[in-house]
Amino acid sequence: MTPERVFGRDAAVARRRRAAFMRGLQAVAPALIPTGAWGLVTGVAMLQAGLTTVQALGMTLLVYAGSAQLAALPLLAGSAPLSVILLTAAVVNLRFVIFSAALQPYFGHFPVMRRALIGYFATDVGFAMFLSRYGDAPPAERGGEGQLWFFVGMASGIWFAWQSMSVLGIVLAAQVPGTWGLDFAAILGLIAMTIPMIAGRPAVVGAVTAGIVAVLAAGLPLKLGLAAAVVGGIAAAMATELLLERRRGTP
Amino acid sequence: MSETTVWIVVIGLTCVTVATRSAFLVLGKRYTLPDRLQHALRYAPVCALVALITPELALAGGSLDLSLSNPKLVAGIGAAMVMVATRNMIAAMAVGMLAFTAMRLLAG
Repeated sequence: MTPERVFGRDAAVARRRRAAFMRGLQAVAPALIPTGAWGLVTGVAMLQAGLTTVQALGMTLLVYAGSAQLAALPLLAGSAPLSVILLTAAVVNLRFVIFSAALQPYFGHFPVMRRALIGYFATDVGFAMFLSRYGDAPPAERGGEGQLWFFVGMASGIWFAWQSMSVLGIVLAAQVPGTWGLDFAAILGLIAMTIPMIAGRPAVVGAVTAGIVAVLAAGLPLKLGLAAAVVGGIAAAMATELLLERRRGTP
Repeated sequence: MSETTVWIVVIGLTCVTVATRSAFLVLGKRYTLPDRLQHALRYAPVCALVALITPELALAGGSLDLSLSNPKLVAGIGAAMVMVATRNMIAAMAVGMLAFTAMRLLAG
């Protein structure tokens, strides 16, 4: 693929698009470490659950949703009914419905196929990075070309880091011993990535609430705890924001 | 599990990914959320990431373990503190991995 086919023929437009693409790639660079680590862990996990190399490659390239894959694998290995596997994955993915609602004001005006593609590539990390950059953009400035190409740059980095490491995990599955604690390195990476995003008192309250609910509700069927934690965290953050506003006396 | 079952599950999971991630986007501007709710959704990513992390730290083999002998909990909190203090991702991950490995070795 030539740069011309990616960014367009017009030189000035292409330069702008490429600059936004690079900004997205730059913004996401630090997050590629935990993303890659998770990809590797997921790749190894698919083989350990009993998938063949080809099946695992198919799963990583098509499904592209680590948490749903990790939730589905033990069910698949245990021959759970298809309906239970898909329902569990759907519940684990419920947070993405919230994400896509939050992206709609930015990308809702694009053609339908492009919207569907943007959604497919809106992973946890991508969504978090996009909103921490443009979450405060006034409504009139939402969904400009710069934001689209920023998203594309970011999503490309995440896709490449995830897929390359996931494929590596599939290929090396037999050689990666569980004692390395790779899965825990991925968690540490997520922690390091999340801390800078917890800015302001409402976000702190929301994060603490979500963390506690996730632990307490971890035993719920179909992995409902994750969705409950996200909803609970958002509600707590908003309640805090309202309280702070009231105390300051602003409407 | 048979070859066919696996591929049916893979196709099914792909549909689940597309359906959940693209739901609102594909509906387009027909259903616009109230401003207040849109504003609230800005807290969604932090909440989702934290909710993915805490069960991994606080649950050991499915049961709650908030003791200081839980290597994942101690190492996770250590990494978080390093991150808060230094904003250095590599340092936070290194301290966390060192604490985790040291505690596992000491526990034998």
